[in-house]
Amino acid sequence: MKTKKSPASLLLIPAGIFLVLIILISIGPFLWVLLSSVKTNREILTFSFRFTNGVHWQNYVNAFKIAPIVRYFQNSVFITIMGVLLNLTVMSMAAYVLSRFSFRLRNFIRAFFAMGLLIPGAALLLPLYTSIKAVGLYNNVWGLIVVYTAFGIPVSVFIMSSYFLTIPKEMEESAYIDGAGFLKTFAIIILPLARPAFATAGIMQFLLCWNEFQFALTLTTGHDARTLPVALYYFKSAFASDYGAMFAAIVLVSLPSIIVYSLLQKQVVSGLAAGSVKG
Amino acid sequence: MTIKKRWIVIFLFPGILLFSFVYLASIVNVFGTSFTTWRITQAISFNGVGNYFTLFVSDKFQKALGNSLIWIILQSTVHVAIGIVFALITSRKKWYSTFSKTVFMLPNILSSAALGMLFYNVFNPMYGPVNKIIQFFGNKNFNVNWYANADTAFFAVTMTWLPFAAIIAILAAAELAAISDDIFEAAVIDGASEFQINWRIKLPLLKNAIGTGTILAATSMLQKMDILIMTSNGGPGNQTMNLPLLIYLTAMQDNNFGLANACGVILILIGLASIGIINKIYRMNETV
Repeated sequence: MKTKKSPASLLLIPAGIFLVLIILISIGPFLWVLLSSVKTNREILTFSFRFTNGVHWQNYVNAFKIAPIVRYFQNSVFITIMGVLLNLTVMSMAAYVLSRFSFRLRNFIRAFFAMGLLIPGAALLLPLYTSIKAVGLYNNVWGLIVVYTAFGIPVSVFIMSSYFLTIPKEMEESAYIDGAGFLKTFAIIILPLARPAFATAGIMQFLLCWNEFQFALTLTTGHDARTLPVALYYFKSAFASDYGAMFAAIVLVSLPSIIVYSLLQKQVVSGLAAGSVKG
Repeated sequence: MTIKKRWIVIFLFPGILLFSFVYLASIVNVFGTSFTTWRITQAISFNGVGNYFTLFVSDKFQKALGNSLIWIILQSTVHVAIGIVFALITSRKKWYSTFSKTVFMLPNILSSAALGMLFYNVFNPMYGPVNKIIQFFGNKNFNVNWYANADTAFFAVTMTWLPFAAIIAILAAAELAAISDDIFEAAVIDGASEFQINWRIKLPLLKNAIGTGTILAATSMLQKMDILIMTSNGGPGNQTMNLPLLIYLTAMQDNNFGLANACGVILILIGLASIGIINKIYRMNETV
């Protein structure tokens, strides 16, 4: 069979231009920032691709001096670890029960959790500020942990429930026959089988905790509980003249997300697809 | 209560508690206090629809509402189209497909605070590459302060999210992968061109992905605040103000809590309305 070639190649040129443009604007700005983060202020201002003074690592040192980045980094790491662990623990339990057992309020509780997807985060800004203050968690890493754990509920419960549904019921039944209780069956039979769901939900939760900015800004003050994205805010307002250090800070905030994404790309993609299709 | 029932309650309780504290209590709070006068210095008092009235006659709110609606429409059309076209191009497994998909995701993976900072620098009038490139290709005296100039700020802000439609592309790609190859082979045998296959076969089959993607794209415009804080901060004047930023400023700078929550209610209602309208347009939940 002979295939006609001409109509296809007609589309090839605009498609090619489109793709090249998309790639350029997607990665270009970040590469430019990466490059600028090891340049001196003068090199940045002249926009050359040459490094007249070699690679200027000093920017990274300066970044750590200008803003308390170490403190912010520690907060980010702690909040992210706890936010991921708590969310996975709480939601694997809830998703397991919701996908495995039928009881009166099941559909209601499912809809209740899914409702979170309908509410724009910005509308919750002020009410959360008041309630977090009321329970004494303002300017406390635990305030952010509680908020992030809850923000991840709709997506996590969806990813996990749909995975639990694919595990054959016979696995648990044989465990019950062998005399294992509810908790033991869940911990020993179900959890190990659900590792892929934990990976996917965990990554979505990681990105949420690591990247979140507006609540980190609103629910904290000073340096005690603030996270890395808020550090960028400092660079923008107070220390805007040391461009090199500012670029270094952008790289420092972005790199963990990029590393996690490149290592676990498959899970991120399936997580995004699952999280957006909703329950 | 049987043992199983007790475990069901125990397993659900922490999730429900957390969710109630963060979502349910907040929603009750937003709706309830939106009908009150509530400032940081005053006692809270009922004032009916006073806040809503104050909002609708304020220039700032009108601009924020208008911008939010324009951004919702732009995102539901141009942004979605970019994602779908990207998915169609990269669906043919060529050497560049995986690379392109990975790169396209990058802006969606970064913290939006970092992304905002990135673009703030890219559009910087002194050293940003945008001005430098325009100067290089001709106009030597070109010098625009993109985020501070009333004519360009809206465009510069829009460019920080409009092209980055990787999530739409992922949804479309997942749907495309589910279509049987037989259909395309049959079309090729019948003499269909590449364009016809895309336009007449793939696009109609993507209806659900396009619908879901449009809902995501539209509602994402009700969240955008961090990029605005990092770039134009709603200015110059109120040129790039939107509802989320207005809520933040009303609450945290003016400390007018009742007014901010009235704005929050409007934000929630716009979100629900957008979802309803888009569902209607794409007649989702119906099979193709």
